[in-house]
Amino acid sequence: MSIVVDGLRKRFGPALALDGMTFRVEPGRVTGFVGPNGAGKSTTMRVILGLDAPEAGTALVDGQPYRTLRRPLRHLGSLLDAAALQPSRTARNHLLWLAHSQGLAGRRVDEVLAVTGLTSVAQRRAGGYSLGMRQRLGIAAALLGDPPTVMLDEPFNGMDPDGIIWMRGFLRSLAADGRAVLVSSHLMGELQDTAHHLIVVGRGRVLADAAVPDLVAGHASLERAYLDLTREAVEFTAEEGTR
Amino acid sequence: MIRAEWTKFRTVRGWVLGAVAALVLIIGLGVVPGTGGSCDASCRLPRGPEGHEVADRAEFVHRTLTGDGTITARITSFTGTKFTGPGRNDVALVPWAKAGLIVRDGTDPGSSYAAVMLTGAHGVRMQYDYVHDAAGGSDGAAPRWLRLTRAGPVVTTAESTDGTHWRTVGEATPAHLPESVEIGLFTTSPQWAEKMHETFGVNAVRGGPSTATAVFADVRVEGATGAWRAEDLGGPGGADEIPDDGPEPGAAVRDGVYTVTGSGDIAPAVSGPNGLGTTVTTTLLGTFAGLVLLVVLGGLFVTAEYRRGLIGVTFAASPRRGRVFGAKALVIGAVAAVIGSVAATVALAAGPPVLRANGAYVSAVTLGTQARLVIGTALLLAGCAVLALAVGALVRRSAVALTAVLSVTVLPYLLAMSVLPSGAADWVLRVTPAAAFAVQQSAVEYAHVENLYTAPNGYFPLPPFAGLAVLGVWVAVAAGCAVVVLRRRDVA
Amino acid sequence: MRPALKCEWTKLRTSPGTPWAVLAVAVATVGLSALAAGSVTCPCATDTTKLALTGVQLGQAVAAVFAVTVLGGEYGTGMIAVTLTAVPQRTTVLAAKALLVSGAVGVSGAAGVLGAWLAGRAALGDHLATGVRPLAGSVLYLVLVALLGLGAAAVTRGSAVAIGTVLGLLYVVPIVSTVVRDPDWKRHLQQVSPADAGQAVQATENLAALPIQPWPGLGVLALWAAAALLTGAALLHRRDA
Repeated sequence: MSIVVDGLRKRFGPALALDGMTFRVEPGRVTGFVGPNGAGKSTTMRVILGLDAPEAGTALVDGQPYRTLRRPLRHLGSLLDAAALQPSRTARNHLLWLAHSQGLAGRRVDEVLAVTGLTSVAQRRAGGYSLGMRQRLGIAAALLGDPPTVMLDEPFNGMDPDGIIWMRGFLRSLAADGRAVLVSSHLMGELQDTAHHLIVVGRGRVLADAAVPDLVAGHASLERAYLDLTREAVEFTAEEGTR
Repeated sequence: MIRAEWTKFRTVRGWVLGAVAALVLIIGLGVVPGTGGSCDASCRLPRGPEGHEVADRAEFVHRTLTGDGTITARITSFTGTKFTGPGRNDVALVPWAKAGLIVRDGTDPGSSYAAVMLTGAHGVRMQYDYVHDAAGGSDGAAPRWLRLTRAGPVVTTAESTDGTHWRTVGEATPAHLPESVEIGLFTTSPQWAEKMHETFGVNAVRGGPSTATAVFADVRVEGATGAWRAEDLGGPGGADEIPDDGPEPGAAVRDGVYTVTGSGDIAPAVSGPNGLGTTVTTTLLGTFAGLVLLVVLGGLFVTAEYRRGLIGVTFAASPRRGRVFGAKALVIGAVAAVIGSVAATVALAAGPPVLRANGAYVSAVTLGTQARLVIGTALLLAGCAVLALAVGALVRRSAVALTAVLSVTVLPYLLAMSVLPSGAADWVLRVTPAAAFAVQQSAVEYAHVENLYTAPNGYFPLPPFAGLAVLGVWVAVAAGCAVVVLRRRDVA
Repeated sequence: MRPALKCEWTKLRTSPGTPWAVLAVAVATVGLSALAAGSVTCPCATDTTKLALTGVQLGQAVAAVFAVTVLGGEYGTGMIAVTLTAVPQRTTVLAAKALLVSGAVGVSGAAGVLGAWLAGRAALGDHLATGVRPLAGSVLYLVLVALLGLGAAAVTRGSAVAIGTVLGLLYVVPIVSTVVRDPDWKRHLQQVSPADAGQAVQATENLAALPIQPWPGLGVLALWAAAALLTGAALLHRRDA
């Protein structure tokens, strides 16, 4: 069930952000959501979460529109913007109010803090967190409801090499638990060896939706495959000579 | 860099609209008819020799003097009444009631003069040409001898307790004393006003006209010709200070003793409860409303960058953070200053005609004062906008910054104008940045004219540029802290 | 609704600024009231109850700013997206915030009004007329002003403009009404202005001369607050977050 997106269309002013976006996210694997800047990745995620309304098409989580879910974080845990915090509030209290909104207790907060390795810094002001710590906090928030589906927007941003390695292992373990994991990125290198399946998007629509081995077939490497697929969809191309 | 910040400002439509709205608000509130009255074109205050608007009303008993001469008299009694309600006149001599000897250039209102007098509570004084006042050195009360001597353009005055030993009160050269002048006795008594403590609010004032009666004996004049004449200088037809059921102005003589009863004042005209009319500062009433908007803009100009993380881009583009702040301050300050000057100019030009059309009397102001009002308003708005910018840079959160700045700039002014008792109001208008509103004062305060010199009547506790300096200190401290903190602190 | 209320309460109590704001509403109210009552000597020619409750004219600013930041602050940090992800029923979120803001301002307002009344009693003694309506009405006044602020923040999706708008409504409109000469216009303005109309609830003397009667006056303010909240709710529901 997880996430089912069908024919999404959305404009922002004159720009067409989504142009018939359609895909499904299956459980038990890490699905990479890749594409150039402006392809519509973040917009798609916001539509899935009910933050932005599409002009056409549907986005369903566990068979329902997100806004009709009770205790939505128990269905879909997400991280869009790690900096969306009140700086003066402690990290633990940030997770605490989120937990309360789902009818969860403080104990659950401590569990997710432990899983993401933030227990020792939990009582610190969120405003004092480094970029990497904020990302981990965002992931902790996504896991609060122990959801079967997890959706993360560019979670590797700001991570140091240790953090990236941790993240890769973490995502794979989530998938191994049987969860559906959707991770967006615009750099192939980050998802290497992490994603099982890839959805390649460009210009607001899906360009390719296949397992990683299938995508690589016929191309020199995954990166080559990606570049070939997205060539037409790239917003800005460098001069031929600098390629 | 300044151009970069200007581009940032003008490309946010909301901010430009806000700036325009500030301009419209200031002008709009300035030309909405605020006060009215019963004055028509005939309402005109006379002008003294130095150009000030003056009140010139007294009971004057006089003879013509050609060339040099002296007048001496003994005031044997000096009493007065005070109008305190319909049909009620308390027996009381108001502090600035005046009776004494005067030499003046004719009987037209606003003539040049010099006088020596007893006052109700301020002793013997010499005054000339309305704005000049000096104490005589004794807290004289009746009975007392007074002498006034005119020699050429110079007038000398003296007083005595026994008629033999004279003490000089003062010497003066009035602006225009021709060969032929009027010299004689006068009595007058001004409007009184006091704050009511039984009522709350700025309009809790009561007052009314008063009269004084002085008895002059042993009157001797050397050098005068002609008979004694008595007249009510500046009398009915101009002033609206006829005491109700009280003693009428007039003079009587019996056996060489003159009893002179007068009402009014020979002094500069003031605005407020004891005066006539309002000042042009009323047309700048809307300043505080435009100030709210400009403070919001000043705060947003910097906090908006923190909200979106744009601040990182800004500091990456220009690592000299102090300069970035300086550029922002220059841009927002210039915008506020332009709005202030334009709005003030328009309000000062368009407001008074509206007020006059509604029957209010608007005291005239010099071009210099008007220039100060325009420049001062511009600086007031610019200073507060930059203050908001500095506080915004310090706290990085718009709500906190705006609340803080609004509560030290606009709120003290509003509270002082409406609900604060005058002691608290004056303190607040000395200490907070709202002190800068003093630069808009156009009413002049005189120590020798009794009036309620309070903020709601247009009298600020600090002189105009001192008030602006207080704002300047606040801005300097805040901006200094902001620059230091911006340089040291991690971005965002 | 329960989880939404609980999470909004957690947000409120874990934000370091909240206790200060709540305290400030009471302090501002008591402070200005004490100043005003102390400046008058009785027997007075003024409405003593209204005099003793003058402090709400300052307390209202604090209450309004506090309520604005409860919602406007989330837009500033972007946390509103997290909130609406956790509780997608947007009107429920606004309702929960409204309930909690009412409670917080109600409590501090009650403390402030009580303190102001005590200060008035100390300054004016037996001359202070009392009544349930002025006191309870003043607490309600502060709550309604806060709700007006919350609605404004929902409409403007931020703090700064909402603060400017609400403070402008509360302070500029009464000044405009004193400046207007035409008595009919003046009366209508005072009937419509949220601050003037709302403060009518404090009057105990000379009721016939008021531009609007006490309870209807408070009703006008309630209409303003309701309009702001309803508009805010509608916009919050429809617009992209």
